[in-house]
Amino acid sequence: MNESGGVLRVRGLCKEHGEGQGLVRAVDEVDLDVPAAQTLAVMGPSGCGKSTLLHLMGGLERPTRGEVRLDGRRIDTLSERALARLRRRSVGFVFQAFHLVEELSAAENVELPALLAGCSPRAARRRAAALLERFGLADRARHLPWQLSGGQRQRVAIARAIANEPLVLLADEPTGNLGTGATLDVLRLFSELRAAGQTLVIVTHDERVASTADRLISMRDGTFVDDTRLAGSNTGRLGGMIGLGD
Amino acid sequence: MGRVLLVLRLVAADVRRHPAQAAMLLVSITTATAMLSLGVALHGATEKLYQNTREATAGPDVVAYSPDTRRTTITALQSLRQAPGVLAHSGPYRQYYTTLTAHGATGAAVVQVADPAPGPVDRPLLTSGGWVRPGGVVVERGFATALDVRVGDHVTVAGRPLPVTGIAVTAARAVYPWAPGIGPHGGPSDGGGLVWAAERDTRALRSPDVPVTSFINLKLRDPGTARAFTTRDPAIAPAFEHTWVNVRAWQDVARQDSVMLRDSQPILVIGSWLIAFLAIGGLATLAVGRATAQTRRVGLLKAVGATPGLIAAVLLAEYVTLALLADALGLVAARLIEPAIVNPSASLLTTATGPAGGTVAVTTVVALAVAGLTTLGPTVRALRTETVAALADGARQPRHRAHLTRISALLPTSLLLGTRLIARRPGRAFLHACTTAATMTTVTGLIVIHAQTATGYPGSPMANDLRDAQQHHVILAVTAAMIVLAAVNTLTAAWTTAEEARRTMAVARALGATPGQVTAGLSAAQVLPTLPGALAGVPLGLLVCLLFSGPDTTWPPAWSLLAAALTVLPVTAALTAIPARIAARRPVAPTLSAEAP
Repeated sequence: MNESGGVLRVRGLCKEHGEGQGLVRAVDEVDLDVPAAQTLAVMGPSGCGKSTLLHLMGGLERPTRGEVRLDGRRIDTLSERALARLRRRSVGFVFQAFHLVEELSAAENVELPALLAGCSPRAARRRAAALLERFGLADRARHLPWQLSGGQRQRVAIARAIANEPLVLLADEPTGNLGTGATLDVLRLFSELRAAGQTLVIVTHDERVASTADRLISMRDGTFVDDTRLAGSNTGRLGGMIGLGD
Repeated sequence: MGRVLLVLRLVAADVRRHPAQAAMLLVSITTATAMLSLGVALHGATEKLYQNTREATAGPDVVAYSPDTRRTTITALQSLRQAPGVLAHSGPYRQYYTTLTAHGATGAAVVQVADPAPGPVDRPLLTSGGWVRPGGVVVERGFATALDVRVGDHVTVAGRPLPVTGIAVTAARAVYPWAPGIGPHGGPSDGGGLVWAAERDTRALRSPDVPVTSFINLKLRDPGTARAFTTRDPAIAPAFEHTWVNVRAWQDVARQDSVMLRDSQPILVIGSWLIAFLAIGGLATLAVGRATAQTRRVGLLKAVGATPGLIAAVLLAEYVTLALLADALGLVAARLIEPAIVNPSASLLTTATGPAGGTVAVTTVVALAVAGLTTLGPTVRALRTETVAALADGARQPRHRAHLTRISALLPTSLLLGTRLIARRPGRAFLHACTTAATMTTVTGLIVIHAQTATGYPGSPMANDLRDAQQHHVILAVTAAMIVLAAVNTLTAAWTTAEEARRTMAVARALGATPGQVTAGLSAAQVLPTLPGALAGVPLGLLVCLLFSGPDTTWPPAWSLLAAALTVLPVTAALTAIPARIAARRPVAPTLSAEAP
């Protein structure tokens, strides 16, 4: 954690696509600080730059201008190799489309980040088994992704994302492909992670998801138009409505 | 008409979108059909060329040689003019066994005393220059080619420099270096070339130290009975009571000529099989790699109301059209290469003839079979897929291979990724191993052939290894074609693997795999199956060589074969490094966004 207490710190971030008259500013001069253990929700219409912002913060894309710091370390200038190493340990991704490896079982998918990080196969297997147990998927460990429901697939993806205990978990529309029941399952998981002190950045269209956050940023045309601290999230009206209250 | 136009437009559009794949298909089938065409064309090719030369030069049906110049011998040979069935003759002539030097190289030669104008039988055809005149010689074309002699050059015969007035071909003798007919004193020949010289210019050769033979060329009423021609006929037998004579029928000359290609034909035929196998392997990889895109295309066509027949026509038309084009290119290439292959000595006339109908039929069937076999499966699968499913994602789900996945967890990251890529498509890895084995089989053949000691003719150093050289050239050409195809196949397999695993590799990178690890993983997926393929190819190659080997075959040292097999690994790694690196450098986020299942 850096001296300001922010795990993620973004300054003057800009991402442009195209040139001349076709120039599009997907992210336009954005500043952001995400303190440790905060759950930040980013909302906005399609194409407003939410996903691009998430990719920039996780080092999956490089900004046109500006800087991104993760745990005080500037990452937008890192080489691809260094970025890959950073992602192994410090960033976890959850995608709307799950992006599980189709030919690997649920357990093997969850083992993958640990193996990439150099863990022994036994340690990776143990960790995966523990995570799947924690997420209520122990009996699905040997199932292939296509044999799982959407909600189960997303829970496997979240287990995979936190397998290496990252500093920050970046979730891109994590409930976008899920029904109500599966959405609740995922939100419960996020709630548990939040309670455990995990820093979370969630890009979403879903107000139910946003309402579980500590803070909500609204985006439009690549810029932030609103930044709200949500008091009593998870136990508030919306939290209660979706069954996350006491 | 409208449907045909639509099919053609769609085919043209697809070729424009995937020019590299179309080029790969063309290269594979062209090489296979060219090699196959050559293999088929070699069967009886020399006999055909010999017949052409025989017709063009009024070749004799029988040549009777006698190893001296005594009056009784000449009389006996002259008596053959009256032998039953003889229509025409030329001679008797003399030939001296000597040497010829040109451009510093010396070779054994027979110098035939030539009339100012050739007789009615055996009229050598001048391919350049003019006929013999006093003070100038004509060199047989095969001999001239070996010596690199042209009209106007000077050659030294019996210590006397003489200009070359012409280059000619004849069917009276076997091709260079088997021109002497019989050896000095009626013994075996050491080989050599043929030179025609005026009587005046051969006087210097009249010496007890220079062997000489007399011979006469005969034309028979029924050329088919030439082998039965004998001097024992009662009408002429008395003349030969004290004269030894060796009768050579035109069939013997033709058989001798075909010896030149005897070792090359199996190389070309087996080579064409292996190349066809490589072509099938490469195209199968390509077709399967394109299956997803094809399935989506089928979904689109179905969605706009195309019938299954029209869709099948669209999918197959491209491959069939390219296969037919490649077949034509292969036949043209074979036609251009054929003279060098079938007439290595240049002693025979190579008249321009197109490929035989049978050859065209065989190569066309093979080309269509290669295209059909490799595209039919994906086409049928695409047609069977429901429209919505096809539009969503046509890719087949890879099978879970728990055992291989568990083992790969023990490996370093690059090998882990490579092994898991192999586990996705083990069939492709097996095919890659098989194509490597086929290539290594040919490379082993090349090494074995080059390990043989050149056998030759003591008097003709430049003729020593003409047949060996021919064999070397053919195996080298086949090996080169195999290596080129294998390289194309490796690149195709690497690129197809990278394309198919694009999402998986993007996920791996999002989880922390470095571009270097992904590059190495994609390369490893090709290199790992190469090793068993290369190692299996060595004994396979030795086995094939064993089938054609004799007791004197020299086997190359084991280390050279092992070294060749192991060389395949870095070569494969280098070949796959470029597509792997390009694939590994793709930005992760757009890939994941585009490839969402």
